[in-house]
Amino acid sequence: MADTSRVTLPAPAPMVSQVTMLRVAIILTVLAVWEFLSRSGWLYRDVVPSLLAIGRALIDLLTHGDYYFNLAVTAGEVGAALAIGGSLGLIVGIALGANRFLSKAFESYLYYLGPTPKIIFFPIMIMWFGVGPGSKIALGTLSCFFPVALSAAAGMRQIDKTLIKVGRSFRATTMQMVFKIYLPAMRHPIINGVRLGLGVALIGTLLAETKLSNKGIGFLIIQAYSIFDMPRMYAMLIILFILSIGANSLVGHFGGLDNIKRS
Amino acid sequence: MNAPLQNPSDILVVDDVVVRFDTPEGAVTAVDHVSFGVRQGEFLSVIGPSGCGKSTLFNVIGGLLGHTSGTANVAGETINGPHPSIGMVFQEESTFPWRNVTDNVAFPLELIGMPKAQRIERARHFISLVGLDGFENRYPNELSGGMRQRVSLARTLASEPKILLMDEPFAALDEQTRLLLGDKVLQIQQQLKQTTLLITHNITEAVQMSDRILVMTYRPGKVKRIVDIDLPRPRTSDIVGSEAFGRYVAQIWADLREEASRGMRDEEKTMMGAKS
Repeated sequence: MADTSRVTLPAPAPMVSQVTMLRVAIILTVLAVWEFLSRSGWLYRDVVPSLLAIGRALIDLLTHGDYYFNLAVTAGEVGAALAIGGSLGLIVGIALGANRFLSKAFESYLYYLGPTPKIIFFPIMIMWFGVGPGSKIALGTLSCFFPVALSAAAGMRQIDKTLIKVGRSFRATTMQMVFKIYLPAMRHPIINGVRLGLGVALIGTLLAETKLSNKGIGFLIIQAYSIFDMPRMYAMLIILFILSIGANSLVGHFGGLDNIKRS
Repeated sequence: MNAPLQNPSDILVVDDVVVRFDTPEGAVTAVDHVSFGVRQGEFLSVIGPSGCGKSTLFNVIGGLLGHTSGTANVAGETINGPHPSIGMVFQEESTFPWRNVTDNVAFPLELIGMPKAQRIERARHFISLVGLDGFENRYPNELSGGMRQRVSLARTLASEPKILLMDEPFAALDEQTRLLLGDKVLQIQQQLKQTTLLITHNITEAVQMSDRILVMTYRPGKVKRIVDIDLPRPRTSDIVGSEAFGRYVAQIWADLREEASRGMRDEEKTMMGAKS
């Protein structure tokens, strides 16, 4: 331990700063090109608004309570979709992973349905759950279910058989097996599945909001577009972008590499 | 064949146990009418060539595998599933990587709902018994293979089994570590007067530690002989150099050699069959 840490510890420091520098450089370049395009007059002014206009729209957005209300609506929908779809996916995944018969009978359907764009089910969801948040949650849930179920099933099959034997030899009950052996042993595939699930739940929910809705971020974006308020639309995209990065790294943090031993 | 060496006072009685598996090539008898008893406090080793069914026997006694006929009793109760009187130590890596040493060792105590403070205290006791003081808060990936195997041993001992059942627990370790760990096991066994049943293919290990050695035949696995090891106790790995030790090793090898070469011929035959 001492040896390896002595050799490897100093190395990452300059690496990280190099990567950071490159990232900053890329962002600055994109901004510069953007501003250049906006001033060049080659494109319609409104398609590529100046950074200043976007900045102003951003401040305008963040200083009005209206935006936060819609943000809360979308966040609530995504959260509910992740909670419902994630837990259903987990239960189904564990059942498929544990039972060869069930897995043979049903798992191929999951593989076929998994990559299908869930938005095609949106009309049905509207009929079942209405125009409000219900249909968005339903679509997000549907999107999120598949990656979580498939990762959980795969994770379940990867569990070291010896650990299961240890649990049995100490006469663990089924509940103890699930909570003290299966779930901790498959924590990495599950976290991965939830990460993918969060991504597609976000996509599903927002997509649904842009199609037919009366509140939420997707609704605001499409509204800004329909009145051709481009700076406002870009400002919302930027915030959304930052929020998804934040959410993703949060999920990673809770069960990611830094938590390998404890989670 | 020897008469079954059993006693009414034996803590573990294996009586006429047969295990048969159905394979695509037909039924295979892994364990064939095996009978023996383990006495309270003794160290008994089961030795045999690979393919003699000793691991099958381990799983049957541990209650993880059913048997075709015969009976196995521990402390007068029939084994038909994992029994609380039997504690198993596996050959493979078996520590929980997400639990530190203390929580690994406390695992069986957690399952029976022992309060946290109490089970940590008990875990500490067994950690110290296997000589891992100071490593209580380490995780398995921070330990060596030998240390991890000691964690598994401590975890099983923490459940305070009447019989410690081990399946080649040191097979994956290097020779020096194996001998030193053997010493540790002997010391613990003598300290706790722990009845122990060791499954192994290592003659030195078997003679170094056992009171009796049960030699099994190659497939189908039967009891070939039970040898009393009349070496002084307490023992350490120093005994490996003594003349009596050498005699026992030679005697067991003479028994095993025949079985092992039969196994080898059998394997060669299968290989030839597969080739043609």
